[in-house]
This record gives sequence, structure tokens and C-alpha cells, in this order.
Amino acid sequence: MSHQRYPSMDPVKEPHSVSLKVLRLSRPSLVTQHPLTNPLSTAAGARAQTVAASLAYQSRNTTSNPDPFLLTPILNLPPSFGSAYVGETFSCTLCANHEVPPDAPAAPEQADAARRPKKYIRDVRIEAEMKTPGSSTVQKLALGPEPAAAPAASAGDAEADGSKGTDLEPAATLQRIVNFDLKEEGNHVLAVTVSYYEATETSGRTRTFRKLYQFICKGSLIVRTKVGVLPAAAAEASGDEDKENRGDASEAGAKAKPSETTKPRPAWILEAQLENCSEDAMQLDRVGLDLEPGLRYRDANWMVSGSAKPVLHPGEVEQVCFVVELEDDDGQGGAAAVEESEDGRVIFGVLGIAWRTEMGNRGFLSTGKLGARITR
Amino acid sequence: MDTRGHTRNRSGVRPTRPRSSTKGPLDADEGPLSSPLSPQAARFIASQQASPRTSASLTRSPAQSPAPSAPSVSSRDFSHLLRPEIFHQLTPISLPAPFRNPSKQPSPDTPIPELLAQGQFRAAAIASVQALTSSPVAATTAAAHPPVDPHDHARIFSLLYTRLSCLCLIDAVPLAAQEAKALQDLNQGFYLDPIDGSHLMPWELRVLAIRLQTLGFGDPRRAVMSYYDLAREARFEIGKAGKVHDNSAKELWKHRLAELGVKVAGALVEMEDLAGAANHLASLKDQSGDGRLAMSRALLWLHLGDVDAARWSVREGKADQTGERVVSALADMADGSYESALEKWTAMKDEMDENAADDEMVGVNLAVCLLYLGRMEEGRAILESLVNSGLASHTLLFNLSTMYELCTDRSKQLKLSLAERIADREASSHGWEKTNADFKL
Repeated sequence: MSHQRYPSMDPVKEPHSVSLKVLRLSRPSLVTQHPLTNPLSTAAGARAQTVAASLAYQSRNTTSNPDPFLLTPILNLPPSFGSAYVGETFSCTLCANHEVPPDAPAAPEQADAARRPKKYIRDVRIEAEMKTPGSSTVQKLALGPEPAAAPAASAGDAEADGSKGTDLEPAATLQRIVNFDLKEEGNHVLAVTVSYYEATETSGRTRTFRKLYQFICKGSLIVRTKVGVLPAAAAEASGDEDKENRGDASEAGAKAKPSETTKPRPAWILEAQLENCSEDAMQLDRVGLDLEPGLRYRDANWMVSGSAKPVLHPGEVEQVCFVVELEDDDGQGGAAAVEESEDGRVIFGVLGIAWRTEMGNRGFLSTGKLGARITR
Repeated sequence: MDTRGHTRNRSGVRPTRPRSSTKGPLDADEGPLSSPLSPQAARFIASQQASPRTSASLTRSPAQSPAPSAPSVSSRDFSHLLRPEIFHQLTPISLPAPFRNPSKQPSPDTPIPELLAQGQFRAAAIASVQALTSSPVAATTAAAHPPVDPHDHARIFSLLYTRLSCLCLIDAVPLAAQEAKALQDLNQGFYLDPIDGSHLMPWELRVLAIRLQTLGFGDPRRAVMSYYDLAREARFEIGKAGKVHDNSAKELWKHRLAELGVKVAGALVEMEDLAGAANHLASLKDQSGDGRLAMSRALLWLHLGDVDAARWSVREGKADQTGERVVSALADMADGSYESALEKWTAMKDEMDENAADDEMVGVNLAVCLLYLGRMEEGRAILESLVNSGLASHTLLFNLSTMYELCTDRSKQLKLSLAERIADREASSHGWEKTNADFKL
């Protein structure tokens, strides 16, 4: 994330008493270790001791370290910005800090008041906006944590309310967190404005500065779809089969009616190829259809076969398949009517894909409306 | 590792994943003799192909009784492993200034075991090279680290292990990877005892050299294949020890075999074959019974992002109680439920304080969790208190330095003063030296 200080709107040339620091809060990561045998205990035949210094962390009387395994439960904060992908939630922490000049002691009561006028920082506010590539206006972002979650002790008289500022003791920090769902590829700009009231014993003034952080959001998943008509005979057979399955679970009165077997209902196969175009492995979590009224679908993927959720390494493709059919209309016994567009197309709905990446980071995408030309 | 080159289709061949088989050599329960080749014989064949120069002395099957003409191992000359050009000069450039202070360095005539016990791994790495290359800088150091005899393979390999492991401990793994290349083919006949076919290197050196050579030669698959080679040997030894009712040897080799199985999983994670690693870990049997394997599985699932599978891995006593609670708190964080994770970390920390147990991980994770909840100042106080209690893992220092960066424009001063505090400590077996990267300097 590159950042720049916005040309100052502040007429005062003096350096600011408040600094702004940011960190993208991707999920914390598990630290790796390479346990080593102690060179002193390499006597042949003896079961060797692990050098404590080769473990990721120290522990006494506990059994949390899975030595000799590579991954350990201790967490590292995100070391860098990393890559931002469409479908993920961008989280970022914003810290406004009351900077104490290096020559002044940290504790104000010990300061030589005659030498340097004591400064009070009051009413610190942080505002954040996001500029996305698709829109010409900026979007104001809500700042967390909620007032209830913020302890009063963390930043003096902490009022996390957006309307009210926070007073900062020297070297104290006002921390806020923003979340933003990334939906577009391209350049995003996070603009952060900090304003505060700087007071000395005799005077005071309101000061403001603004910083811009630019980052690029990339695509993570390429979705290709194809719709085919399920041959009528197959539709009939599978329809009956499906009915039997449901009959077990629900009421027995839903027996196949003769009229249905003579008039097969239309059904389609929706296939989709999901390609991981990010640089990280992802595990598909839920892939399903959100259909228009009058339609139902059957999943024909890993859920049905009881297989593990597919893991897609970068560049890998997973093919998924659904059978879309008309829903039963309870009242008339026939197939429900489905809305048809003017050019003879039936609109199914959208395909939604949820995935997770390292340490459970979530992603979700849905396609545009999918559909098929109706065949008579 | 460059993963962009692997544009792989799901249905295609995965070049980086070793072929899986239903009967793996990591399955300890299998009869040791089901393999048509004994490890010695396999190595023997390999050595014939790999190094015809040395194979002439090994044309006898090791199974036969030793002939009087067999050359003794003590006549073998290992001086090619002692050449000074193999070993790198260690520069203190990656160290913060407080760790370069000459008054803090151990005296050059400190014996290597003492250096290791004090956690002076850099000095131990230098001293072992002085002994290996017969290049002590002064008479006193020559007395402390006497030059090695090129025929004394036991001492040579012990010094090499000290050198390579200490390089790893001071975060100089790339140098260790280069130096390990000098060992060349670890399975060559030259490293085998001509009489009983046993390997002359200590086990630890062989295991470490595999990882380092994998890095040095840039071939991630090498580690997996080589661990399987060692596993085959371990299975053979288990069978051999079983026949002569040597229970302690049997247990030792079983332990080594189990450890190799876990190391294969780690190697797969490092080559980013996470699904393969998960399958592999699932196939291993928890022989130790202490729940470590269940914990390993859960951590791998978390790393992969499958939070439900992680929770499931430690349920119903599959891991011990600590493991289950740790995974549960980590899983909450992976789900973004930081409030609920915070409760769990806090409860664990309070209990540990009561029971005189110490786990740096719980404190660090509690602090990380607080940062994600917008309570960094509390988190920072916890990390500071961990440092004050004498802890100094890479992760603790890195996270604290990250918080320093967030809470002031002048984080460099805070980091340097942290480095000074750590450097002022007495050296301990946990290691003393820290690098610039630990402090984000």
C-alpha cells in the first residue's frame, strides 16, 4: 500500500502533534518452526533433545507445541500489505497517536513546564473514506470498534462515537478499525482524515491532516458457466428418483402422478468452471445457486459425494455442476410456471461461490444472472 | 518457491506431489521385509550408480561376513569436507548494534559445548569451522578447538552438525543451505561403513542435511523423497531390533520414523501442497498418544482455511485439553470472532498464572487478539510484560515492534531500546542474539 500525505490544508507550518499509522489487518498467520536436535545430545542411540531456541516459542508445563511439526499455534501480525482480492473484506487499523517530542520526557508532570509549554490534545477524530475504481464519488466508512467494545481505559476518556472526539494523553493512541468489502478490480484509495484540537495553557487551535493510501485490488476467481438442456428422458428419470428421495423425508402423499410421467418437465444442466487466479491456495466452502421463484436445483458436487471440500492451488480449476428444474406447483400438480423474458430466455438466478484462504480469511463472489433459452 | 510456474489442472499430473501409495514406508506396522531390497542393498545399488569411484571398495554384499581385506573406515579420508572455501564468513551486518558489542561476545577459547549451553550459537558456528578447517586464529583458540583429523569421521560429522544447526539458529539458513551442498549425495557409498553398511553420519545430521540440501539445490521434492528414503531405513531397523529383542533400539527407530512422517507433512506445506499435506497427516497414526498429531492436523487445517475441520481434528479427546482449547481460540480468530477468542485466551492465561505454567504463545496470541479488537494499548502492555519476564521469541519481538510502528512516528527509538534490553540479558540456552528482522529494523 503506497501512501502519501495530502497537501496540507493546515496553515500552520509546525509539525503535527498527532501522527497517523495504519496496518492492514489480514488474518494473523501461524508461525513456522524447524525443530533441531541439540548438538550436545547426539550420542548414538539416545533419544535426542530438541534445542529450545529452535522452537517458535517457549513454554513450561504446557503441551501446546506440536514439535516436530512445522506449524505452531503462535500468531504473527501481518508482516506486509500482501495482495487484495475481489470478494474479500479489506480490514485496516488506523492509529492516531499523540506524539511526544523526543526531547520532552514522556510523563508530563515531570516536564519542565517553563521550558516547553504543555500541550493538550483534545477531541481527536478519525474519518475514513474509500474511493473505488468504478465510482466517481467516495464512500464514507464506518469505524469500529463499537463504543461498547472499547474500554474507557484504552485512550483516556474514550468515546468511540463518531460525533465525539477523544482526548489523548501524551504517547496515547486512538485506535480504529475499518472494514470494506472489495467488489471491484483496480485502484482503490483509502483516505484518512485526522482532526484534533491542540491546546496550550493560553491558547488553542483545531488542526487537520489527511493521508491517502492507494492499493490495487486483483481478481481472485474466474468463473466460466455453460448451460445445457437435460435430455427429456433423463429429466424424467432423475425427476422420479428425486421424488422418491424426498418422499422418504416428507409426506407420503407426494407420489408420482401419471400426468407428470407423460409430460416431462424441462430441466437444465448448469456447469461452471472456477479457476483460482490469485497467488494463494483457496478452499471452496459453499458453491450454490440463488434461484428465481419457481425453480429448484440439485447439487451434483462434493457435498453429494461426501468428498472433502476442494482445495484450489493457484491456477487450478474446479468444475461444478447443478441440475436446474421447475419446482412442483402443489396446487395444480403440474410444474410451476417460470418467468420467461421477451426473447424466450428463462432466467435461473445467480451462482454464489464462497471460499476461504489462509487462517480462515473469507471470500465470496456471485455471478451475474444466468439463464438459458427455453426449448419447446 | 515460485508457484506461478505451476499452472496445473485439477485432473492433470501434479509434478510437485510425490506419488502416493497405499502401503507407504512410513507405516510402521508393516513387516520390514516386505520390501524386496534391504536399505543397505538399495543404498549399495544407488552408490554404484552414483559414484563409481567409491563403489570398487564395496563390491561385497554387506550381508556377507566381513572379509579381512575390507578397507577399514578409519583409512577413509574426509579432507574434502574440510576445505575452507566451503564455509562462509559470518558478518554481523544483520545484527542490531547492541548485539555487536565486543564486550558481550564470549571469549574465543570457550569450548564449543559451553558456547552451545550459553546459547552463543554464532560463536559456536565460528568455532566449529575453526576446528574443521584447522584455522584457529590464536594458540588459545587452537587449544579450545583442536584441528580435526581428516580420518576422524565421528568428530567431523559432529562439528558439521554443530556448524549447520547453529547457522539455522542464527537465521543464516541460506548460508547453511549452501554449505550443506558440500556433502553431496548423502546416500553415496563413501558415507557407509564398509563392514556393516551402516551410515557414518549421525541421524540428526542426515535429517538436517536433507532440508538444507533441498533449499540449496532449490528442488522442493527432494526433501520428501529423501525423508522417505530415511523412513525405509528406519523401518528396516525397527524390524532388525525386533528380531534381537532390543526394545530400546526399536523404540528409538519408531520414534524416528514417526518424526519423519511429520517432517514429510512439513515439507509438503513448504512446497505449498497443503491438500497433500493434509492427506498425509490424516494417514499417520498417533503412536505417542499425546495428541500432538491431532494438534498438527488442526493447525494445518487452520492454515488452509478449513476452520470446521480444524475444530473437528481436536474434538473428543483427539488432542489433550490444552490443544483443544488453543485450537478453539485460534478457530474463533479465523472466523473473525475476536471477542469470543479473547475470552478464551484470557481464561487460559489466567489459569496458567495460577498453575505456575508458562506459555509464551498464549500471551502473544492474547495480545494479537486485542489488536484486532482495537485494544492495541492493552496488547502492547502484555507483550512488554512478556519481554520483561525474560521471553524473546522472534514472534514476540516482531509483534511488539509492529505495535511500536503503529503507536508512534518514532518507532525506531523504541525498537532500538528494546534491542538493548534484550542484549543486556545474560545469555541462556534459549539463545541470546537477535537479528534486525526480529525488531523490524
